[in-house]
Amino acid sequence: MEQKYEEEIQMLQQEIEMLEAEQEETLRSIFIEHGDRLQHELKSVFEERGGAQKPALSKLITEVRELEKDLRRQTEINGIALNECFVKTLHKSERKLVQQLRLAGHCSVLLFQVEFAVTEIQEDDALRRRVTELNIVVDGVEFKDFSAFVSRVEDTKDLLLFFRTLRTFSERCEERRQTFQHFQEKYPDVVSLPEGCRSELMIIRSPQLPGTSMTIFWKIDVSMEGVVKPSLELLLKMSDQAREFDTKKVMENGSNYFQSLLQILGVEASIEGLIRTVCS
Amino acid sequence: MDGVLGHLMALERDGMGQQDQHESQRLEMLKVRAVTLRAQRDQLKHQADAVKVRRILKDKISKDLPLDDVDAAGGFIDLQKSLLTAWRMQLKDLQRAHHLIGGYDLVECKEGKSVCVSFHTAFEGVYLETYNMELDLTRTVQISRHNIPPSFPLESIAKQILQKDLKAFLQTLSQKLNAFAGRRQQVCLLKELVGSVEVMESNQLCNILVLMCTAQGETPKAVLCTLEYGDLTQCLPTRVSIECEDKTLSESPQWKKNQSLLLESPAHTALLTMRRMGSIA
Repeated sequence: MEQKYEEEIQMLQQEIEMLEAEQEETLRSIFIEHGDRLQHELKSVFEERGGAQKPALSKLITEVRELEKDLRRQTEINGIALNECFVKTLHKSERKLVQQLRLAGHCSVLLFQVEFAVTEIQEDDALRRRVTELNIVVDGVEFKDFSAFVSRVEDTKDLLLFFRTLRTFSERCEERRQTFQHFQEKYPDVVSLPEGCRSELMIIRSPQLPGTSMTIFWKIDVSMEGVVKPSLELLLKMSDQAREFDTKKVMENGSNYFQSLLQILGVEASIEGLIRTVCS
Repeated sequence: MDGVLGHLMALERDGMGQQDQHESQRLEMLKVRAVTLRAQRDQLKHQADAVKVRRILKDKISKDLPLDDVDAAGGFIDLQKSLLTAWRMQLKDLQRAHHLIGGYDLVECKEGKSVCVSFHTAFEGVYLETYNMELDLTRTVQISRHNIPPSFPLESIAKQILQKDLKAFLQTLSQKLNAFAGRRQQVCLLKELVGSVEVMESNQLCNILVLMCTAQGETPKAVLCTLEYGDLTQCLPTRVSIECEDKTLSESPQWKKNQSLLLESPAHTALLTMRRMGSIA
């Protein structure tokens, strides 16, 4: 008699596990199917106030509102916005969970797409989790020297390092963009950004001295271990005429002079200084 | 539960023996459990069927087919319910995604007076310890509770950055904790995978590691490798020194190469390579 119940209980537990897994997949497929329209449809649900608010739905609506609020909080503190999130459960049992996730989003203006697989095993004392596959695609003009780092991170499956580094990298890129844009707006006749404000190039030219220009290369290097290092270099170009008068050997010493300036005054003040020499 | 108690009392009245009572108690519990699970299973099945009905309804709507009253009445609420439930699933998936990519899982406590953050660490794809911290936000930002190891220079990091820039503080801490977890994990892995190498010295912060290897050769010789991790944000050493009684060995091109390996790759990986190449036992 006992055994009969025990067998039934086991069977029911398995059935429930299966039904719950099915339900999750159904919900996920509803979301994929209705995608964009979902937000639109939900708007009308949320806007039904007063008498029309169905008690059956109000608890669900409150829960959804809370989740949205929490998501905004996480997005803000993590500095990572996720626009797309597709989850596929490959295996789910009492002690083991295997999922594939596909995420797309941005960190400030830097876009990324990340696909990874994660396995979780519940052991007696702890939950063991590991990333078993990782594929990363990054998009943006800033990423031209990023591929060595991405390859390494994909090899070592270091998902967390990727996002930590992305955050730091995006902050350095943002500083560069703001600084370049600031100078272009302040000195539009002298400063030009031939590849846009998101690139690493800024050119300073005086209308009075054609053939002479100063090019600032503001590189942001990312090592394979995820160390983000900005470095600035100055390249001087002088017309042959001007070079004849270069008694102070500005051409030769200019770059070193700029490096010293950077050490003493910092980036903004040094660039300002350079621009001023051309303006006066 | 009332049913169970009633039944038990009835059994008692019938004057059953102690043993029999235990058996029937267990039987009753099993019966109750089965009933509960059956109810849960049925509810899930009902929900699954309801979804099918909604899909048919949605289909009718999109194809402009006529709806009968039964469809319309129950159908619309169910439709909205399924959309909301689907949206809730997506939101939960997004929360999990933030968690998995190493987010801080920020939670507001005490009506916004403080926040709790988590620092997730991982090395080579394996998630390691999670450290937690409560930050008091009432006047200035203060750390009120945490479980970060005492050897960690938390105070000095907090002093430098916490007041100026909370996010930078979190970022720096996360970076250093991950590097620390990575260094510690390397020591575990090398003990596990390269039993022939002995760890002579290591410290709490895992920024110094002294290993004793046995160099292969005509006569096996002991080689001492000292790894210094000068940069606490990194898992790789900044300095590696090789010492051996036999100077020709430590100066040999093979061991110069080993020194580079130890500088450029994680300790356990370097040692495994050295063993595979026959350099060490």
